[in-house]
Amino acid sequence: MSKLQRILNSREARKLFRDKIAVVALVLIAGYLLIALLLMCGVLPPKAYADVVGPSNSRGLFLSENAEKRYEIARTAMLGKVKRALQREDVEVALDEVHLGWLRVAEKPPEELKSIVEESLELQRQLKAFERLDDDPDAKALLTAFEQKTNQLVAPLSGADYFMHNAALLLGTDAQGRSILFRALYSIKVAIQIGVVTALVCVLIGALLGSAAGYFGGWVDYVVVWLYTTFSSIPNLVLLVIIAYAFTTSGSDAKDTLLPVYIAFCATFWIGTCRVVRGETLKLKQMEYVQAAKTAGFGSFRVLFRHILPNTSHLMLINFSLLLIGAIKSEVILSYLGLGVKGQPSWGLMIRDAGNNGDVMTGFFWQIGTATAFMFVLVLAFNILSDALQDAFDPKHL
Amino acid sequence: MALLEVENLVKHFPVRGGLMNRVIKQVHAVNGVSFSVDKGEIVGIVGESGCGKSTLGKLIVRLLEATAGAVKFDGHDITHSSPSALLPFRRRMQMIFQDPHASLNPRMTVGAAVREVLAFHQIAARGELNTKLDELFTQVGVNTDSKEKYPHEFSGGQKQRVGIARALAVNPEFIIADEPVSALDVSIQAQVLNVLMDLKAEFNLTMLFISHDLKVIDHFCDRMLVMYLGFVVEEMPCQDIHADALHPYTRALLGANPVSDPDKRSELTVLEGEVPSPYNPPQGCPFATRCDLVTDQCRQEMPPLVELDAGHRVACWEVNKTPEPITAAEV
Repeated sequence: MSKLQRILNSREARKLFRDKIAVVALVLIAGYLLIALLLMCGVLPPKAYADVVGPSNSRGLFLSENAEKRYEIARTAMLGKVKRALQREDVEVALDEVHLGWLRVAEKPPEELKSIVEESLELQRQLKAFERLDDDPDAKALLTAFEQKTNQLVAPLSGADYFMHNAALLLGTDAQGRSILFRALYSIKVAIQIGVVTALVCVLIGALLGSAAGYFGGWVDYVVVWLYTTFSSIPNLVLLVIIAYAFTTSGSDAKDTLLPVYIAFCATFWIGTCRVVRGETLKLKQMEYVQAAKTAGFGSFRVLFRHILPNTSHLMLINFSLLLIGAIKSEVILSYLGLGVKGQPSWGLMIRDAGNNGDVMTGFFWQIGTATAFMFVLVLAFNILSDALQDAFDPKHL
Repeated sequence: MALLEVENLVKHFPVRGGLMNRVIKQVHAVNGVSFSVDKGEIVGIVGESGCGKSTLGKLIVRLLEATAGAVKFDGHDITHSSPSALLPFRRRMQMIFQDPHASLNPRMTVGAAVREVLAFHQIAARGELNTKLDELFTQVGVNTDSKEKYPHEFSGGQKQRVGIARALAVNPEFIIADEPVSALDVSIQAQVLNVLMDLKAEFNLTMLFISHDLKVIDHFCDRMLVMYLGFVVEEMPCQDIHADALHPYTRALLGANPVSDPDKRSELTVLEGEVPSPYNPPQGCPFATRCDLVTDQCRQEMPPLVELDAGHRVACWEVNKTPEPITAAEV
């Protein structure tokens, strides 16, 4: 029987799979991880989340725009760009450069394009005469004609481009006209990256320090316990803010990467793991198999790494999933405060943008809504999973 | 010739507490125990829970550091040897543990646990590990097909056999068995004892057999030490312990043991009271608080261990006074 089979057949795994909600959570987490992995492989080009893909603050494909907004979209999107390009001397080159996300200028001779622009501008002048576009049926008809006319400037999309264009606009755009869906998706990568790296490093530090403290006792124990009591007496978030702020103001090259965030998180999050592993080691070193290993003459490191640490693996697993959510939540908070992720999308930044522009107050909820929903599902799934893991590893729980 | 000599071994455990975590009292677990074990002999140590018999075993294999006294193995003092200096003695001296469920690493297959010892001490070459493993498992009576199974797939008796195989892996001369059968069913106890008996004969083992069960000791050992509150109160050969036992505590232990033959039933009374606290053992004889024969002298002075017969030593003022067995003074 292979090792994997043995793990899947273990009592703990069977208990975990019997829990229906935990299985759903596992599937959701697997989905998130898959997205993060695909994004790391570069499935989504950077322009998808960083570039302007449409009009600013559009409401997405699920909600219809009001007439004023439709007029605004038709007027600003392609019409202006094409008009400016036609006024240039090297018309062909200028027209070739015009794009809005995946949209490009229709392949028509410049004269034809010019006439379409003229007609569009004429329609626009007529529309300007109306004070309110919403109420008047004539204005509505005119607006539809104006939209159709401007659409003639755009080359029809096909295949992958059509799909990407619609996907980008599915959940609307933010104030700068960037796709909310793609930014939220890309934030998964950032969140998972920070969560996994932090959780891995912290579990490693915590397990090593904790087991060493518990096993060797004496001054090693004093030092480790002193370290974690000192660290845990400092309010967690304040320390994170200080470390992140120190990096932000230092002007080092690292300030635009995720490094400050990693350092801030790894400095504080190992404490919980360290404490439980130390306690478990204190218990395990009294076990007879550890004494048998010592009687056999094994050195401290062999006893520690072969006989004690493998028996704390359940604690490491549970702590890993707890730390992962903790890191993701803290990342969102830090980014919201402007001290976290820079130069990449993050749910925290999206929530901040939505609030800063005052958009939320005027009813533009899709940015904050999308970011919150993505984060909510991930955190909830992980909470359910770590709960189920705790139950599965608890020998008293059937 | 003595393989193991223990001289005046003392172990006190400090109890810390109060302000500044200072030592507030000492648990007197082992108080000046001396004895020796000859080659090929099985010596039993008997006593109730908390009398220091397991501590004594752990002191001998250096799982605990002695407060005072000396442990000599084959003439070498190993009481304070460094781990590297101790390594050759680890190969000659092994321990079998009490709880078979706790004495195997749950994350290692039983085969891996024994192979680790074989490889560490270079008992067998890398390619011959499994051959040697099969040999060991056959000797202790574990199915060789189950060597890649994990401990939870075995019964208590099987696990104890694996524990014995692990101890035997280094070809030791001397084995300390710390209550090896007390966690097992009676029927399994007999099987495991028989395995030990066979191995003893096969490997010419010397053993220190720790138990709280006088019947097992009587059945298994050549000689026994009776411990009470960290003191050896009687040391005697195991020929006819019912007739020979002299110390009131040993006689009380025998009386507490059910005997199947009605003619042999002793008329001794059951002990009353509790064992005195090991934090501050009584000044005189440790057994004075519960003894029938207690006198003022017992409460004042600790009785010395006096040899009454060949190999029979007793620490009791009253028994030593009794004229009947020839005392050392008269010889």
